[in-house]
Amino acid sequence: MAEYKKPLPLITSLSKVFYDGCKENKLLYQQCKDCGEVIFFPKIVCPGCMGENLEWKESAGKGKIFSFTVAYDYAPPEFAGDTPYALAVVNLDEGFSLLTNIVNCDFEKISCDMPVEVMFDPVTPEISLPKFRPVAGV
Amino acid sequence: MHPIRGKAAIVGIGEVPTGHYPERSFIDAAVRVGTMAIRDAGIPKEDIDTIIPIGAVANPLDNANLVCSCLVEEMGLGKTAKSNFQVMSGGSSSANSLKTAVALVNSGLSKAVLVLHCDRLGTGIDFEAAITTFSKSSISQEYESPYGFSQLALAGLLQQRYMHDTGTTERQVAAVVESLRKWAGLNPNAMLRKPRTADEVLDSKVISSPVRKRMMNILADGAAAFIVTSAERAGDLTDTPAYVLGMGSRCTNFTCTAQPQDLFKAWGPACMEAYDMAEIKPTDVRVAEIYDAFPTFILISMELLGLCPRGTAGQIVEAGHTSPGGKLPVSTNGAMMAQGHTGAGGGMAILVEAARQVMGKAGDRQVKNTDIVVETASGGVGMDFHVGVLGREV
Repeated sequence: MAEYKKPLPLITSLSKVFYDGCKENKLLYQQCKDCGEVIFFPKIVCPGCMGENLEWKESAGKGKIFSFTVAYDYAPPEFAGDTPYALAVVNLDEGFSLLTNIVNCDFEKISCDMPVEVMFDPVTPEISLPKFRPVAGV
Repeated sequence: MHPIRGKAAIVGIGEVPTGHYPERSFIDAAVRVGTMAIRDAGIPKEDIDTIIPIGAVANPLDNANLVCSCLVEEMGLGKTAKSNFQVMSGGSSSANSLKTAVALVNSGLSKAVLVLHCDRLGTGIDFEAAITTFSKSSISQEYESPYGFSQLALAGLLQQRYMHDTGTTERQVAAVVESLRKWAGLNPNAMLRKPRTADEVLDSKVISSPVRKRMMNILADGAAAFIVTSAERAGDLTDTPAYVLGMGSRCTNFTCTAQPQDLFKAWGPACMEAYDMAEIKPTDVRVAEIYDAFPTFILISMELLGLCPRGTAGQIVEAGHTSPGGKLPVSTNGAMMAQGHTGAGGGMAILVEAARQVMGKAGDRQVKNTDIVVETASGGVGMDFHVGVLGREV
């Protein structure tokens, strides 16, 4: 396997839990046990009530594209060889959003509100990045 | 009435041309705009007791020097200055420093405040380093940077969803560039002064869909400054103070992923707050100096400001109403798309232009009857939204 030269996620005590989940093909998010707030990106305290009683939950990994862009040029240097590639903000059904790549599809056919589902890209033995693809048959 | 409505004013402004000036040193441009603003105000330099240098991003050493009072020494303010400190919130630094200056002057803690920005993003930083800077700042290292995100991609995301929601055409977005270039043609301090039609914009290649090359701003060197003092003193100094009538703002997020998806709900209150404080309605606005970075943000902001119904800003721009001679002049300096992107200075240039229009000092691009001018600013990847209302009369 060629050496992976693109930026890897910064691993903190919090993001480690998330990426440990990804390694097992699980998309994790948090929920506040006090006020019910759905939380992502993972936080130290609940942005709703500032409580610290947070629990990790597993997302079904399905959602819709809120918006997207296909990068053709002027990409960050490490990604210059990857163009074109698609970036999107995806709204998950559980009520949180994340930034990701849309893969395994014709970029011309991506649209806002298109249903997508998660797949995990094992970019290194330690890190799997959650990426999204169109839901088959939709 | 709001207790600080009209209690402070911008009484002097300074600006050097924006562009690529390798021979112009950082300190040269900074001192020039500072002295220009002081002379424009007709104020003794001894009255400047507070200096607020906005953050410079091209060279960390230049910024460290600003923080450590280099302007106080270079401009000879050291016998009477009380404070030199930085206000920095990226593109919205202009608005946050205006807010700070107005509060200081109104409380009596300061007599006159000099706010100054200088940066060399055109020639003081190399191109690769600039791309790296704008692909790393305001982006989550944990959850966003692994995907190849940059602030350019942000423009793509924003424009894509805006077009989806409103039916705005790509040509209408391109028309924003045409309008801004027309204004820049009348602005000797602007970098891109040649006309550019919407069709020419559409002829350029797609960079981060649907953003095309000619919908991108260009990094530049630039500097601008303004002076704030009390309304009472302003009346003695000049016949044309730009009174600060209203200010409103909301700060909502750090990352683009967390930016509210309904900007009207999230940032609309900033506009209402500013209008309520100024006691005006959107129909009172004669000129809108709108912060851009990218053309779509101008369209969204026009709608946030209530200058047109939601989803119609593109039609208004395409019809020529925001261009010179139009009924709703927008961003009369050419904004960052045409004047140039100077880092945290984009908001400064817009705020200085708003004051310039109110003061009647905008030369060939002066709009008539500029009783009420509104201006906006936003920092980071769209982390906040600030609205200021300046006027000729209290």
